[in-house]
Amino acid sequence: MTELTAPNVVASSTRSDRRRKILQNLLRGERPYMLYIAFVILLVVFSLSSPWFLSVDNFLNIGRQTTLVSIIAVGMTFIIIARQIDLSVASTLALSGMAAALAMSQINNSWIVGAVAGLGTGALVGLLNGILTTQLSIPSFLVTLGSLSMARGLAMMVTNTKPVIITNETYFAIFGEGTFLGIPVPIAWTLAAMIIGILLLHYNVFGRRIYAVGGNPTAALYSGINTKRITTSAFVLTGTLAGLAALVLSARSHAARPDVVQGMELDVIAAVILGGCSLFGGRGYILGTLFGSLIIGTLNNGLVLLGVSSPMQLVIKGAIIVAAVAFTKR
Amino acid sequence: MELSGSGTAEPGTSTSLLMVSAINKRFGGVRALRDVNLEVRAGEVHALLGENGAGKSTLIKILSGVHALDSGTIEIAGRPVEFDSPAKSREAGIAVVYQDLSLVESLSVADNLLLGREPRARFGFVRQRALMARAEAFLNELGIPLDTRATVGSLPFAYRQMTEIAKALMGEVRLLILDEPTSSLTSDEVRILFDAIGKATRRGVGVIYVTHRLNEVFEISQRVTVLRDGANAGTFVTAETDMKRLVNAIVGADRSTPTGPRTEPAAKRELDPLPVLSLSDVSNDRLRAVDLSVLKGEIHGLAGLIGSGRTEILETVFGLRPLESGAIEIEGRRWLPGGPADAIEQGIALVPEDRHVQGLVLDHSIERNVTLPRISHFSRWGWMQQRAAARRAETAVARLSVKAPGAFSLVRTLSGGNQQKVVFGKWNDPRPRVLLLDEPTVGVDVGAREEIYAVIRNAVRDGSGVLVVSSDLVELIELCDRISVIVNGHVARTLSRGEIDDAEELHHLLQIYQASGPGHLQELPA
Repeated sequence: MTELTAPNVVASSTRSDRRRKILQNLLRGERPYMLYIAFVILLVVFSLSSPWFLSVDNFLNIGRQTTLVSIIAVGMTFIIIARQIDLSVASTLALSGMAAALAMSQINNSWIVGAVAGLGTGALVGLLNGILTTQLSIPSFLVTLGSLSMARGLAMMVTNTKPVIITNETYFAIFGEGTFLGIPVPIAWTLAAMIIGILLLHYNVFGRRIYAVGGNPTAALYSGINTKRITTSAFVLTGTLAGLAALVLSARSHAARPDVVQGMELDVIAAVILGGCSLFGGRGYILGTLFGSLIIGTLNNGLVLLGVSSPMQLVIKGAIIVAAVAFTKR
Repeated sequence: MELSGSGTAEPGTSTSLLMVSAINKRFGGVRALRDVNLEVRAGEVHALLGENGAGKSTLIKILSGVHALDSGTIEIAGRPVEFDSPAKSREAGIAVVYQDLSLVESLSVADNLLLGREPRARFGFVRQRALMARAEAFLNELGIPLDTRATVGSLPFAYRQMTEIAKALMGEVRLLILDEPTSSLTSDEVRILFDAIGKATRRGVGVIYVTHRLNEVFEISQRVTVLRDGANAGTFVTAETDMKRLVNAIVGADRSTPTGPRTEPAAKRELDPLPVLSLSDVSNDRLRAVDLSVLKGEIHGLAGLIGSGRTEILETVFGLRPLESGAIEIEGRRWLPGGPADAIEQGIALVPEDRHVQGLVLDHSIERNVTLPRISHFSRWGWMQQRAAARRAETAVARLSVKAPGAFSLVRTLSGGNQQKVVFGKWNDPRPRVLLLDEPTVGVDVGAREEIYAVIRNAVRDGSGVLVVSSDLVELIELCDRISVIVNGHVARTLSRGEIDDAEELHHLLQIYQASGPGHLQELPA
């Protein structure tokens, strides 16, 4: 009897627990709801001030423009929740793109070779970042500051700063220009990254461990968690996603260039923080990150449509990011 | 001592330094303080007792200007005062030493003592030598053995606490409030602290002494005030009361006295002769040839000073410190610890010394914390089984009677005692073979302490072996079947409970072994 009833009681109480928590958050105006409200306000403001903003084409445009940031931001969410930072993602993207394009041009012009080379290079940079951070106990800020420079330098060295042209049509279709179930593939890849991120972070043991390592690394260690391996895994995941972003970018532009997306790591970090991750670790979620990067993408797009000069765009974007974080922080 | 003793013996004749009359404080719907009175005289040590949540912290926060009172009056030396900020309270001569330390870890002891009032030369340059000299002179006057040049962060916890107290005593202090100052001190350090308090009271400083350790009340205080449920539960002249009456006032007459007879006298219980854990000749950077065994169903205590290697024995068994030589056996089988995960796999559990730093993720829920050590038990192919995890947490909350709104409450919002129960909850299912406990009841109120003792006794009744480190010798005497005295990383002697009469005797033994061999391990009696 008791055995039969107990699970139901527990389940209902946890559900009501969650419902109460959501209600409390709403009433107190805490994240994540403020984030969604901010996004809606942004949409309304741009819709009212620009006739071109509110259209399916423009939204697809925003989606396509935010692809790179969104894909990498999924990995960055894991990293920041684990109390680390990765400044090298933009350089990793550039290096991975070069690796993919060169591998294809050298070996049979095969898209599979390109994909493996791109993802593998990203994963390798992530692995090195992770190993240096955890084994040598160097703060990840410094490790990735170093790899930011090294990866960019390597990307430029391999061809002496020249771009590498890609000619494989299948590669373009899969990563850049085709559609999947009617969705442009860059957006489909973003959604795939998001879904994998949600599953890993919120429904997998790995996610639990990431939260514990970031929430209190010592307590995690004392609970039998291999904190070094978990932290390293987060870096490998992020590097691999930077590799995926490189495939998308190079397939869209039919070439890999060593000097692309400089400074994009700041947009990625801003998206994750806007999305509700705590820089002190232990807190954050993937859906928040998606909205964080959508806010940044929408800002970029809307300000262009309004004809704001590009220096002024930078000022407004920076101010809105700081204001949004100040407004939504606990 | 005689001087201050005769001064406080006749109430009314000595001046009251602090007079708190009928103060009330509400937080939302909760009445935290109801018509609370407190009088402290100059040169008096006045102990303040009560369970967690009885209102001690609220009262202290009002006195220190952190909270404003709703009604009532506070007088200092006969003059009414109103504090609207901590600065005002400090100005009136009230200094508080909090449990959470307020020192800058990267600075030296001297820098910390004179923080914000450094002797300065022109253009704001600090006169480093004058600063050192002033700090040193002050410490000498108080008789506190601290190196002014030492970096605070590198000091053992007890010395940081002394720095904190010394810092509080600098300047014009008339009333010193100490909030559980001894919770992490060894008996030697407590002695030094008590000496320092004695020096302060002789200069006419009044002291409010908050503690959970009743024996200290009798040692140091002249009077005691007990709070219960936010109201006065009695003020006693220490010399005219006893332990039993104080405990009654603290827990309330309706609850049975926790000092009553136990379930079963520890020494008389039949023990399984098979050791669940045995260490032979275990050595590493902090341990020298440790021989130790914990029997099935035994509570084995480790007594010793801070830094003696007590904690390091637990850490070595749990795989947090490498084993350099010697052997560890679990239920008779040789085992080489490969890290915490490996130890957990072997059925070893650790309730660490500092629950905030080592035991819990404070910003996460009870459920997240409780499921952490055996998280793979709540997953299939790596995917979390949220229901099973929630069920496990609900069971732990119910079994350990954690007072919380639910299993998804954040651990940070719980009281110290309930947080400690959550740490125990991480390990209660499946039953650990060896339960390692490091200071299991530090910062825990009397009621929760009894509940934790019950949890420990239940664990051994179910067949676990317990190895417990504690600075509270009364606790060791109450709990343990055998007690090992640890000196300088070595087991100086193992005694069965029958060989020791009381905490006093254990205290003497510790002193003797400590004195007989500081640094001379080979010459120690085996």
